[in-house]
Amino acid sequence: MQCAEALRVQAYFDGEVDALTALEVERHAGHCGECRELLEQLTATRARLRQELEFPQAPAALRASIRRLLDEDRGASAAEGPGRVRSQGRPALKWLGALLAGGAALAAAVLLFFRVSAATDPLLDDLLSAHVRSLMPLHLTDVVSTDRHTVKPWFAGHADVSPVVVDFNEQGYPLVGGRADYFDGQRVAAVVYRHGTHIINVFAWAAGGHALPEFSSRSGYHIVCWKLGNLQYCAISDTGWDELQALTRLLRAAGSADQPRLDRYLDK
Amino acid sequence: MQDKRARFEASVLPHLDAAYRFARWLSRSGDAEDLVQEAFLRAWRGFEGLRGGDVKAWLFTIVRNCHATALQQGQRRAVLSLRDAPLPAMRTHSEPAGDDPESVATAEEERRSLRSVIAALPDEHREVLLLREMEDMSYREIAQVTQVPIGTVMSRLARARAALRGKWLEQASGGPRAVR
Repeated sequence: MQCAEALRVQAYFDGEVDALTALEVERHAGHCGECRELLEQLTATRARLRQELEFPQAPAALRASIRRLLDEDRGASAAEGPGRVRSQGRPALKWLGALLAGGAALAAAVLLFFRVSAATDPLLDDLLSAHVRSLMPLHLTDVVSTDRHTVKPWFAGHADVSPVVVDFNEQGYPLVGGRADYFDGQRVAAVVYRHGTHIINVFAWAAGGHALPEFSSRSGYHIVCWKLGNLQYCAISDTGWDELQALTRLLRAAGSADQPRLDRYLDK
Repeated sequence: MQDKRARFEASVLPHLDAAYRFARWLSRSGDAEDLVQEAFLRAWRGFEGLRGGDVKAWLFTIVRNCHATALQQGQRRAVLSLRDAPLPAMRTHSEPAGDDPESVATAEEERRSLRSVIAALPDEHREVLLLREMEDMSYREIAQVTQVPIGTVMSRLARARAALRGKWLEQASGGPRAVR
Protein backbone atom coordinates (compact mmCIF):
# COMPACT_ATOMS: atom_id res chain seq x y z
CA MET A 1 0.00 0.00 0.00
CA GLN A 2 1.02 3.58 -0.44
CA CYS A 3 2.83 5.38 2.32
CA ALA A 4 0.60 7.89 4.12
CA GLU A 5 3.12 10.60 3.28
CA ALA A 6 2.75 10.12 -0.49
CA LEU A 7 0.64 13.24 -1.06
CA ARG A 8 3.04 15.36 0.96
CA VAL A 9 5.97 13.93 -0.99
CA GLN A 10 4.18 14.86 -4.20
CA ALA A 11 3.51 18.38 -2.90
CA TYR A 12 7.18 18.65 -2.00
CA PHE A 13 8.13 17.52 -5.50
CA ASP A 14 5.81 20.16 -6.97
CA GLY A 15 7.42 22.89 -4.87
CA GLU A 16 4.18 23.42 -2.96
CA VAL A 17 5.39 23.08 0.64
CA ASP A 18 6.95 25.61 2.98
CA ALA A 19 10.51 25.24 4.20
CA LEU A 20 9.50 23.45 7.38
CA THR A 21 7.42 20.82 5.63
CA ALA A 22 10.17 20.38 3.06
CA LEU A 23 12.52 19.61 5.90
CA GLU A 24 10.13 17.02 7.34
CA VAL A 25 9.59 15.40 3.94
CA GLU A 26 13.35 15.20 3.34
CA ARG A 27 13.81 13.59 6.71
CA HIS A 28 11.01 11.15 6.00
CA ALA A 29 12.29 10.22 2.55
CA GLY A 30 15.64 9.58 4.20
CA HIS A 31 14.28 6.46 5.84
CA CYS A 32 11.25 5.57 3.70
CA GLY A 33 12.29 3.62 0.61
CA GLU A 34 8.80 3.82 -0.84
CA CYS A 35 8.79 7.62 -0.81
CA ARG A 36 12.30 7.80 -2.24
CA GLU A 37 11.10 5.63 -5.09
CA LEU A 38 8.03 7.84 -5.50
CA LEU A 39 10.27 10.90 -5.84
CA GLU A 40 12.30 9.13 -8.53
CA GLN A 41 9.16 8.14 -10.38
CA LEU A 42 7.75 11.67 -10.20
CA THR A 43 10.98 13.03 -11.63
CA ALA A 44 11.03 10.47 -14.44
CA THR A 45 7.38 11.04 -15.31
CA ARG A 46 7.83 14.78 -15.49
CA ALA A 47 10.97 14.47 -17.60
CA ARG A 48 9.26 12.21 -20.09
CA LEU A 49 6.11 14.32 -20.28
CA ARG A 50 7.96 17.58 -20.78
CA GLN A 51 10.23 16.04 -23.35
CA GLU A 52 7.54 14.40 -25.40
CA LEU A 53 4.52 16.64 -25.01
CA GLU A 54 3.96 19.07 -27.81
CA PHE A 55 3.97 22.75 -27.07
CA PRO A 56 2.36 24.16 -30.21
CA GLN A 57 1.98 27.90 -30.64
CA ALA A 58 -1.30 29.51 -31.53
CA PRO A 59 -1.60 29.89 -35.30
CA ALA A 60 -0.87 33.40 -36.54
CA ALA A 61 -4.32 33.52 -38.11
CA LEU A 62 -5.92 32.92 -34.71
CA ARG A 63 -3.92 35.72 -33.13
CA ALA A 64 -4.91 38.05 -35.94
CA SER A 65 -8.58 37.19 -35.75
CA ILE A 66 -8.63 37.74 -31.98
CA ARG A 67 -7.12 41.19 -32.48
CA ARG A 68 -9.74 41.89 -35.12
CA LEU A 69 -12.48 40.75 -32.75
CA LEU A 70 -11.21 43.11 -30.06
CA ASP A 71 -11.11 46.00 -32.53
CA GLU A 72 -14.67 45.34 -33.60
CA ASP A 73 -15.89 45.01 -30.03
CA ARG A 74 -14.16 48.23 -29.11
CA GLY A 75 -15.77 49.97 -32.07
CA ALA A 76 -19.17 48.80 -30.88
CA SER A 77 -18.78 50.07 -27.34
CA ALA A 78 -17.21 53.36 -28.45
CA ALA A 79 -20.19 53.92 -30.73
CA GLU A 80 -22.51 53.62 -27.74
CA GLY A 81 -21.28 56.76 -26.06
CA PRO A 82 -19.23 58.94 -28.40
CA GLY A 83 -20.74 62.20 -27.11
CA ARG A 84 -19.61 61.61 -23.59
CA VAL A 85 -16.12 60.77 -24.65
CA ARG A 86 -15.78 63.78 -26.94
CA SER A 87 -17.22 66.42 -24.63
CA GLN A 88 -14.88 65.39 -21.84
CA GLY A 89 -11.99 64.94 -24.15
CA ARG A 90 -10.20 68.22 -23.70
CA PRO A 91 -10.45 68.87 -19.97
CA ALA A 92 -9.67 65.24 -19.38
CA LEU A 93 -6.52 65.63 -21.42
CA LYS A 94 -5.46 68.64 -19.38
CA TRP A 95 -5.99 66.74 -16.15
CA LEU A 96 -4.15 63.79 -17.57
CA GLY A 97 -1.23 66.03 -18.48
CA ALA A 98 -1.07 67.50 -15.00
CA LEU A 99 -1.32 64.06 -13.44
CA LEU A 100 1.40 62.70 -15.67
CA ALA A 101 3.76 65.55 -14.86
CA GLY A 102 3.11 65.17 -11.15
CA GLY A 103 3.40 61.42 -11.39
CA ALA A 104 6.70 61.63 -13.22
CA ALA A 105 8.17 63.90 -10.57
CA LEU A 106 6.98 61.58 -7.84
CA ALA A 107 8.33 58.56 -9.67
CA ALA A 108 11.71 60.24 -10.06
CA ALA A 109 11.79 61.05 -6.35
CA VAL A 110 10.82 57.52 -5.38
CA LEU A 111 13.39 56.08 -7.76
CA LEU A 112 16.08 58.33 -6.31
CA PHE A 113 15.13 57.33 -2.79
CA PHE A 114 15.35 53.64 -3.63
CA ARG A 115 18.61 54.10 -5.47
CA VAL A 116 20.18 55.89 -2.54
CA SER A 117 19.00 53.44 0.07
CA ALA A 118 19.97 50.52 -2.14
CA ALA A 119 23.38 51.99 -2.85
CA THR A 120 24.17 52.39 0.84
CA ASP A 121 23.61 48.75 1.69
CA PRO A 122 23.49 46.30 -1.19
CA LEU A 123 24.31 43.75 1.47
CA LEU A 124 20.71 43.86 2.66
CA ASP A 125 19.66 42.73 -0.82
CA ASP A 126 22.09 39.83 -0.59
CA LEU A 127 20.65 38.95 2.79
CA LEU A 128 17.11 39.06 1.52
CA SER A 129 17.85 36.86 -1.48
CA ALA A 130 19.81 34.43 0.69
CA HIS A 131 16.82 34.23 3.03
CA VAL A 132 14.29 33.74 0.24
CA ARG A 133 16.55 31.18 -1.44
CA SER A 134 16.77 29.25 1.81
CA LEU A 135 12.99 28.90 1.91
CA MET A 136 12.93 26.99 -1.36
CA PRO A 137 12.78 23.21 -1.17
CA LEU A 138 16.13 21.55 -0.44
CA HIS A 139 17.86 24.81 0.41
CA LEU A 140 17.10 25.46 4.05
CA THR A 141 19.83 23.60 5.85
CA ASP A 142 23.08 21.84 5.09
CA VAL A 143 23.28 20.38 8.58
CA VAL A 144 20.01 19.50 10.25
CA SER A 145 20.18 19.40 13.99
CA THR A 146 18.53 20.76 17.06
CA ASP A 147 21.79 20.21 18.90
CA ARG A 148 24.09 23.21 19.00
CA HIS A 149 27.04 20.92 19.62
CA THR A 150 26.44 19.48 16.18
CA VAL A 151 25.73 22.71 14.35
CA LYS A 152 28.52 24.84 15.73
CA PRO A 153 31.44 22.53 14.90
CA TRP A 154 29.98 22.01 11.44
CA PHE A 155 30.58 25.68 10.66
CA ALA A 156 34.29 25.26 11.36
CA GLY A 157 34.69 23.42 8.08
CA HIS A 158 32.06 25.26 6.06
CA ALA A 159 32.10 28.95 6.92
CA ASP A 160 34.74 31.56 7.70
CA VAL A 161 33.28 32.38 11.08
CA SER A 162 31.94 30.54 14.09
CA PRO A 163 28.76 32.25 15.21
CA VAL A 164 26.75 31.93 18.40
CA VAL A 165 24.55 28.83 18.16
CA VAL A 166 22.02 28.13 20.90
CA ASP A 167 18.80 26.16 20.88
CA PHE A 168 16.10 28.47 22.24
CA ASN A 169 13.41 25.79 22.13
CA GLU A 170 12.11 26.69 25.58
CA GLN A 171 11.74 30.32 24.59
CA GLY A 172 9.83 29.33 21.43
CA TYR A 173 12.74 29.51 18.96
CA PRO A 174 13.90 25.94 18.33
CA LEU A 175 17.15 25.51 16.43
CA VAL A 176 16.56 23.90 13.04
CA GLY A 177 20.06 23.67 11.64
CA GLY A 178 22.87 25.47 9.89
CA ARG A 179 23.83 26.35 6.35
CA ALA A 180 26.75 27.99 4.59
CA ASP A 181 26.02 30.85 2.18
CA TYR A 182 28.32 32.97 0.11
CA PHE A 183 28.06 36.69 -0.28
CA ASP A 184 30.10 39.84 0.26
CA GLY A 185 33.14 37.86 -0.86
CA GLN A 186 33.13 35.42 2.02
CA ARG A 187 31.55 32.26 3.31
CA VAL A 188 28.74 33.26 5.59
CA ALA A 189 27.31 31.14 8.37
CA ALA A 190 23.51 30.91 8.49
CA VAL A 191 21.88 29.55 11.62
CA VAL A 192 18.26 28.59 11.09
CA TYR A 193 15.63 28.98 13.78
CA ARG A 194 11.93 28.37 13.74
CA HIS A 195 9.26 30.41 15.43
CA GLY A 196 5.75 29.00 15.03
CA THR A 197 5.47 28.46 11.31
CA HIS A 198 8.08 31.09 10.46
CA ILE A 199 11.68 30.47 9.54
CA ILE A 200 14.31 32.88 10.82
CA ASN A 201 17.74 32.99 9.26
CA VAL A 202 20.53 34.44 11.39
CA PHE A 203 23.52 35.26 9.21
CA ALA A 204 26.98 35.85 10.63
CA TRP A 205 30.16 36.98 8.93
CA ALA A 206 33.34 38.90 9.72
CA ALA A 207 32.28 42.50 10.26
CA GLY A 208 33.47 44.80 7.47
CA GLY A 209 33.99 48.53 7.42
CA HIS A 210 30.52 49.77 6.66
CA ALA A 211 27.71 49.89 9.16
CA LEU A 212 24.35 48.31 8.45
CA PRO A 213 21.11 49.87 9.74
CA GLU A 214 19.95 48.21 12.94
CA PHE A 215 16.37 47.85 11.67
CA SER A 216 15.24 47.65 8.08
CA SER A 217 12.51 46.06 5.99
CA ARG A 218 12.62 44.72 2.46
CA SER A 219 9.75 43.22 0.49
CA GLY A 220 7.84 42.47 3.68
CA TYR A 221 10.77 40.86 5.48
CA HIS A 222 12.18 42.42 8.63
CA ILE A 223 15.92 42.60 9.14
CA VAL A 224 17.75 43.27 12.40
CA CYS A 225 21.52 43.78 12.30
CA TRP A 226 23.97 43.97 15.16
CA LYS A 227 27.64 43.52 15.82
CA LEU A 228 29.14 41.36 18.48
CA GLY A 229 32.89 41.25 18.86
CA ASN A 230 34.21 41.17 15.33
CA LEU A 231 31.18 39.42 13.94
CA GLN A 232 28.34 41.03 12.06
CA TYR A 233 24.98 39.38 12.72
CA CYS A 234 21.80 39.76 10.73
CA ALA A 235 18.47 38.17 11.54
CA ILE A 236 15.82 38.13 8.84
CA SER A 237 12.29 36.75 8.75
CA ASP A 238 8.68 37.42 7.90
CA THR A 239 7.70 37.29 11.58
CA GLY A 240 6.56 40.47 13.30
CA TRP A 241 9.11 42.93 14.67
CA ASP A 242 8.51 41.85 18.26
CA GLU A 243 9.10 38.17 17.59
CA LEU A 244 12.24 38.88 15.60
CA GLN A 245 13.64 41.23 18.23
CA ALA A 246 12.93 38.73 21.01
CA LEU A 247 15.24 36.27 19.25
CA THR A 248 17.94 38.85 18.63
CA ARG A 249 17.85 39.82 22.33
CA LEU A 250 18.33 36.17 23.27
CA LEU A 251 21.19 35.84 20.80
CA ARG A 252 22.89 39.02 21.99
CA ALA A 253 22.61 37.89 25.60
CA ALA A 254 24.00 34.46 24.74
CA GLY A 255 26.74 36.07 22.69
CA SER A 256 27.90 38.48 25.33
CA ALA A 257 27.85 35.68 27.91
CA ASP A 258 30.29 33.96 25.59
CA GLN A 259 32.37 37.06 25.08
CA PRO A 260 34.40 37.42 28.34
CA ARG A 261 35.51 33.82 28.19
CA LEU A 262 36.68 34.38 24.65
CA ASP A 263 38.59 37.52 25.71
CA ARG A 264 40.28 35.70 28.55
CA TYR A 265 41.26 32.99 26.15
CA LEU A 266 42.74 35.52 23.73
CA ASP A 267 44.70 37.28 26.48
CA LYS A 268 46.61 34.16 27.38
CA MET B 1 -10.31 52.71 -24.06
CA GLN B 2 -6.84 52.82 -25.53
CA ASP B 3 -5.60 52.07 -22.06
CA LYS B 4 -7.80 49.00 -21.62
CA ARG B 5 -6.62 47.64 -24.95
CA ALA B 6 -2.99 48.19 -24.02
CA ARG B 7 -3.42 46.51 -20.65
CA PHE B 8 -5.23 43.59 -22.25
CA GLU B 9 -2.47 43.19 -24.83
CA ALA B 10 0.14 43.27 -22.11
CA SER B 11 -1.46 40.96 -19.57
CA VAL B 12 -3.85 38.58 -21.37
CA LEU B 13 -2.56 38.14 -24.93
CA PRO B 14 0.80 36.73 -23.77
CA HIS B 15 -1.15 33.67 -22.58
CA LEU B 16 -2.62 33.00 -26.02
CA ASP B 17 -0.27 30.11 -26.84
CA ALA B 18 -0.95 28.44 -23.49
CA ALA B 19 -4.71 28.97 -23.83
CA TYR B 20 -4.57 27.45 -27.30
CA ARG B 21 -2.66 24.39 -26.04
CA PHE B 22 -5.20 23.93 -23.26
CA ALA B 23 -8.11 24.36 -25.69
CA ARG B 24 -6.66 21.72 -28.00
CA TRP B 25 -6.60 19.19 -25.20
CA LEU B 26 -10.05 20.18 -24.03
CA SER B 27 -11.80 20.11 -27.35
CA ARG B 28 -9.87 17.17 -28.86
CA SER B 29 -10.92 18.29 -32.32
CA GLY B 30 -10.50 21.03 -34.85
CA ASP B 31 -12.50 23.70 -33.06
CA ALA B 32 -9.85 24.67 -30.51
CA GLU B 33 -9.49 27.93 -32.43
CA ASP B 34 -13.18 28.77 -32.12
CA LEU B 35 -13.02 27.96 -28.43
CA VAL B 36 -10.04 30.26 -27.88
CA GLN B 37 -11.64 33.09 -29.87
CA GLU B 38 -14.79 32.87 -27.85
CA ALA B 39 -12.84 32.76 -24.60
CA PHE B 40 -10.78 35.82 -25.55
CA LEU B 41 -13.88 37.78 -26.44
CA ARG B 42 -15.41 36.92 -23.06
CA ALA B 43 -12.14 37.74 -21.33
CA TRP B 44 -12.04 41.11 -23.12
CA ARG B 45 -15.59 41.95 -22.07
CA GLY B 46 -14.96 40.92 -18.49
CA PHE B 47 -11.52 42.48 -18.32
CA GLU B 48 -12.64 45.64 -16.49
CA GLY B 49 -13.95 43.48 -13.65
CA LEU B 50 -10.59 41.79 -13.16
CA ARG B 51 -8.90 43.18 -10.08
CA GLY B 52 -5.36 41.93 -9.89
CA GLY B 53 -5.04 38.21 -9.30
CA ASP B 54 -3.73 35.54 -11.54
CA VAL B 55 -4.47 36.43 -15.17
CA LYS B 56 -3.45 33.08 -16.62
CA ALA B 57 -5.63 31.08 -14.23
CA TRP B 58 -8.48 33.53 -14.87
CA LEU B 59 -8.15 33.13 -18.64
CA PHE B 60 -7.94 29.33 -18.38
CA THR B 61 -11.09 29.30 -16.26
CA ILE B 62 -12.86 31.19 -19.03
CA VAL B 63 -11.57 28.78 -21.69
CA ARG B 64 -12.76 25.85 -19.62
CA ASN B 65 -16.17 27.44 -19.00
CA CYS B 66 -16.61 28.22 -22.68
CA HIS B 67 -15.85 24.60 -23.44
CA ALA B 68 -18.33 23.35 -20.83
CA THR B 69 -21.04 25.69 -22.11
CA ALA B 70 -20.47 24.54 -25.66
CA LEU B 71 -20.67 20.92 -24.56
CA GLN B 72 -23.92 21.54 -22.75
CA GLN B 73 -25.42 23.28 -25.71
CA GLY B 74 -24.32 20.39 -27.86
CA GLN B 75 -22.83 22.80 -30.34
CA ARG B 76 -19.58 20.97 -30.65
CA ARG B 77 -20.43 17.84 -32.45
CA ALA B 78 -17.39 15.69 -32.18
CA VAL B 79 -16.46 16.26 -28.57
CA LEU B 80 -19.11 14.42 -26.63
CA SER B 81 -17.20 11.21 -26.64
CA LEU B 82 -13.78 12.59 -25.91
CA ARG B 83 -11.91 9.34 -25.83
CA ASP B 84 -13.14 8.19 -29.22
CA ALA B 85 -12.57 11.55 -30.87
CA PRO B 86 -9.67 11.75 -33.32
CA LEU B 87 -6.44 13.02 -31.82
CA PRO B 88 -5.47 16.56 -32.76
CA ALA B 89 -3.29 16.76 -35.83
CA MET B 90 0.36 16.19 -35.11
CA ARG B 91 2.66 19.13 -35.32
CA THR B 92 5.04 18.59 -38.21
CA HIS B 93 8.40 18.00 -36.64
CA SER B 94 11.26 19.31 -38.65
CA GLU B 95 13.32 16.27 -39.44
CA PRO B 96 17.00 17.01 -39.62
CA ALA B 97 18.50 15.92 -42.94
CA GLY B 98 20.28 12.59 -42.75
CA ASP B 99 18.39 11.45 -39.67
CA ASP B 100 17.69 7.76 -39.64
CA PRO B 101 14.07 7.47 -40.83
CA GLU B 102 13.61 4.43 -38.62
CA SER B 103 14.44 6.34 -35.44
CA VAL B 104 12.28 9.26 -36.54
CA ALA B 105 9.40 6.86 -36.95
CA THR B 106 10.03 5.42 -33.50
CA ALA B 107 10.07 8.84 -31.87
CA GLU B 108 6.87 9.72 -33.66
CA GLU B 109 5.35 6.47 -32.49
CA GLU B 110 6.33 7.21 -28.91
CA ARG B 111 4.76 10.63 -29.03
CA ARG B 112 1.67 9.07 -30.43
CA SER B 113 1.55 6.52 -27.65
CA LEU B 114 2.12 9.22 -25.04
CA ARG B 115 -0.79 11.14 -26.47
CA SER B 116 -3.00 8.09 -26.47
CA VAL B 117 -2.05 7.27 -22.89
CA ILE B 118 -2.87 10.80 -21.76
CA ALA B 119 -6.03 10.81 -23.86
CA ALA B 120 -7.15 7.62 -22.12
CA LEU B 121 -7.07 9.30 -18.69
CA PRO B 122 -10.39 10.43 -17.23
CA ASP B 123 -11.05 14.09 -18.18
CA GLU B 124 -10.69 15.45 -14.64
CA HIS B 125 -7.37 13.65 -14.17
CA ARG B 126 -5.99 14.66 -17.54
CA GLU B 127 -6.66 18.37 -17.14
CA VAL B 128 -5.00 18.49 -13.72
CA LEU B 129 -1.97 16.65 -15.04
CA LEU B 130 -1.62 18.91 -18.07
CA LEU B 131 -2.08 22.13 -16.12
CA ARG B 132 0.65 21.01 -13.74
CA GLU B 133 3.18 19.47 -16.11
CA MET B 134 2.57 21.36 -19.33
CA GLU B 135 1.60 24.78 -17.96
CA ASP B 136 3.55 24.60 -14.70
CA MET B 137 0.59 25.91 -12.72
CA SER B 138 0.52 25.86 -8.94
CA TYR B 139 -2.04 23.79 -7.02
CA ARG B 140 -3.87 27.00 -6.18
CA GLU B 141 -4.10 28.01 -9.84
CA ILE B 142 -5.23 24.53 -10.87
CA ALA B 143 -7.86 24.59 -8.13
CA GLN B 144 -9.08 27.94 -9.47
CA VAL B 145 -9.27 26.75 -13.06
CA THR B 146 -10.90 23.40 -12.35
CA GLN B 147 -13.07 24.78 -9.54
CA VAL B 148 -12.30 22.06 -7.02
CA PRO B 149 -10.53 22.23 -3.62
CA ILE B 150 -6.73 21.98 -3.53
CA GLY B 151 -6.97 18.58 -1.80
CA THR B 152 -8.90 17.25 -4.77
CA VAL B 153 -6.29 18.67 -7.14
CA MET B 154 -3.60 16.80 -5.20
CA SER B 155 -5.37 13.45 -5.21
CA ARG B 156 -6.33 13.72 -8.88
CA LEU B 157 -2.79 14.63 -9.78
CA ALA B 158 -1.45 11.63 -7.84
CA ARG B 159 -3.91 9.31 -9.55
CA ALA B 160 -3.15 10.70 -13.01
CA ARG B 161 0.58 10.28 -12.49
CA ALA B 162 0.19 6.75 -11.15
CA ALA B 163 -2.05 5.80 -14.09
CA LEU B 164 0.50 7.20 -16.51
CA ARG B 165 3.31 5.17 -14.94
CA GLY B 166 1.14 2.07 -14.97
CA LYS B 167 0.36 2.47 -18.67
CA TRP B 168 4.00 3.03 -19.49
CA LEU B 169 5.06 -0.06 -17.60
CA GLU B 170 2.36 -2.02 -19.42
CA GLN B 171 3.62 -0.79 -22.78
CA ALA B 172 7.21 -1.51 -21.90
CA SER B 173 6.48 -5.11 -20.97
CA GLY B 174 3.74 -6.35 -23.28
CA GLY B 175 2.96 -3.44 -25.54
CA PRO B 176 3.21 -3.15 -29.32
CA ARG B 177 6.94 -2.44 -29.15
CA ALA B 178 7.68 -5.83 -27.63
CA VAL B 179 5.62 -7.52 -30.31
CA ARG B 180 7.56 -5.86 -33.11
